[in-house]
Amino acid sequence: MSTRIPVGPQHPALIEPEHLDVKVDGETITDVDVHLGYIHRGIEGLMQKKNYQQNVYIAERICGICSGVHTSTYSEGVESLLGLEVPKRAKYIRTIILELERLHSHYLWLGLVAYEIGLDTAFQISWRDREIVLDLLEKITGNRINYAMNTIGGVRRGITKEMQKETLQGIDALWEKTKYYKEVFLKDSIVRARTKNVGVLKKRDAERYSVAGPIVRASSVDFDVRTTNYAAYADVKWKPIVRHGCDINSRLDVRIEEVFEALNIIRQCIENMPEGPLKTIVPPVVPKGETIMRTEAPRGELFYYIRSNGTAMPERVKIRPPTYANLLALKPMLIGSELADLPVIVASIDPCFSCAERVGVIKEGTNKKEIFDGRRLRMMKDAP
Amino acid sequence: MLPELIIYPGVIFIVFLGLLYSGIFRKICARMQNRVGPPILQAFYDAIKLFGKENLSHEGAGHGFFIWPIVAFASALVAALLIPVAGTVALNAGDLLIIIYFLILSSAALYMAGFSSENPYAIIGASRGFMQMIAYEAPFILAILFPVFFYQNMSLSYFNQLQLSNGLLALQFPIAAFAFLVAVLGKVELAPFHIPAAHQELVGGYYIEFSGFRLAMVELTHAVKTIALLAIGVALFFGGSASILGFIAKTLALLFLLAVFRATLARFRIEQAIWFYWTLAGVLIINLTLQHGGFL
Repeated sequence: MSTRIPVGPQHPALIEPEHLDVKVDGETITDVDVHLGYIHRGIEGLMQKKNYQQNVYIAERICGICSGVHTSTYSEGVESLLGLEVPKRAKYIRTIILELERLHSHYLWLGLVAYEIGLDTAFQISWRDREIVLDLLEKITGNRINYAMNTIGGVRRGITKEMQKETLQGIDALWEKTKYYKEVFLKDSIVRARTKNVGVLKKRDAERYSVAGPIVRASSVDFDVRTTNYAAYADVKWKPIVRHGCDINSRLDVRIEEVFEALNIIRQCIENMPEGPLKTIVPPVVPKGETIMRTEAPRGELFYYIRSNGTAMPERVKIRPPTYANLLALKPMLIGSELADLPVIVASIDPCFSCAERVGVIKEGTNKKEIFDGRRLRMMKDAP
Repeated sequence: MLPELIIYPGVIFIVFLGLLYSGIFRKICARMQNRVGPPILQAFYDAIKLFGKENLSHEGAGHGFFIWPIVAFASALVAALLIPVAGTVALNAGDLLIIIYFLILSSAALYMAGFSSENPYAIIGASRGFMQMIAYEAPFILAILFPVFFYQNMSLSYFNQLQLSNGLLALQFPIAAFAFLVAVLGKVELAPFHIPAAHQELVGGYYIEFSGFRLAMVELTHAVKTIALLAIGVALFFGGSASILGFIAKTLALLFLLAVFRATLARFRIEQAIWFYWTLAGVLIINLTLQHGGFL
């Protein structure tokens, strides 16, 4: 006998509103269906109605956690359309912000995983330590979350010598704390029992579902967009972290090691920070053309497609955030596992549903979702 | 008789102490987690507020939905009234048996209330609760059997007096004392055994549909059950109590120990919990056989 259990749109395991329609047999999950569409904001449409400079502000507000990576991806995309070369100092500062952001996103995620398996203390403590990163970001940019640091052609503020010193101090403190987290999350026997061989995503499945970010790297696929050398990643020494366990324990391992890697990258950027201008002069008109920009957000690959028709406003901006790539992989992870593991499996992809939100159409009176196939979408496009 | 039943060491004292301990427990956990935590009297505020709320029930709620929470509270209270607080004696012989029975009834009644509320989350929570009960009752009763077998007595007050003159029974039966504490974690649904009411998985578990008076009953049941179990622990393994101050000091020490468990452990999955408890029960049986047979 199978029971339908509605998980969401309001559920303590999910921070954002989305609906997982779960079918269980006893406690074993037999089927799951993900429904989105609760918080669609029409960002892509809005971006077509604003000019390139205004769109930086919109990109900043797509995600609360990865606001820096959205603006850098957008700015780098527009810069490649313009054929601009960004000053080296700006590239270094961008890298520092991106890695600080990765730090606070990963700390947040560690806390969430701890919370989902009932380890409240680790949740509280990792969020306390996340404050160190947020304080550093506030010192450098003036804001805790929406940094407003990037602009087309460079960055808006520099990092003074004093800020650099404080950042290095903060990094040292975090290094010690992260060692402790490694101990807790990888050695504790109950945490291991709850994460080892849970939410398994085999290498073949990970490739088939085009999964991105730490999840794919925990499934033994060496895929890190930072190797494409945007920002200053070509100038610093780092390596992608790949693990072969394919389960949540490996994802914990990957993210904790990435925290160490991020701390290293920030230290190198600060120590080798070049002098020079923060921003180049940006031509007023973006020439006709299209571009693709990919970056490694904390949660995975962030993809921007920008098409310009030579006016002040972009003709089309298409965003594929990492959660959108990872969402489908929930199905092979969840089916066959226990209901008790659902929260931690969903949390393990570090979902950000407001980024990945797509519009859902419900026919009036029927309460059923409509499915649009390619033919119907083309018809809608041609219609006035 | 009547003031003893109602005031001290009766209903009012037990409920007051239970709510106070639940506040202290939350405060200890909060400090361990680097939080400020609620005021110590928060449990009282909550209980008073909940009793003042409207009596809501949903469509499809059976009679059990109204009756079982009261049964749960009443049976927890009966168990708590039989415990020897500071050497007071309620029954002279066989009170352990009655306490075990009423504690089981109290947990079972809560889960039955969950089943009656006809919510999928509540039903899963309640079935988890019963599953966990099958698991933790074995080590709980086996641990209690250690002193019972050795001293051929089933009276808690006897063990209380015995420990006051002879010293801690926990030193004589260390494994049993540990197993007792672990079983208590399961009985009061603390980490790593807060499985039936797992907030992240089942929202509220078996008491998701409860509000107002009924929710207050659940909270009071937990508070009173905690007191009863701590008192059994003190009377049976951890030194007994001669005065009210000794009773409070010893139960608070045990409460602190439970808070340490609560703050440092993650939640088991249900089958892991059952496996853990039954392994523990196996260890206890072997230990009991060896110790009783005189091999240890």
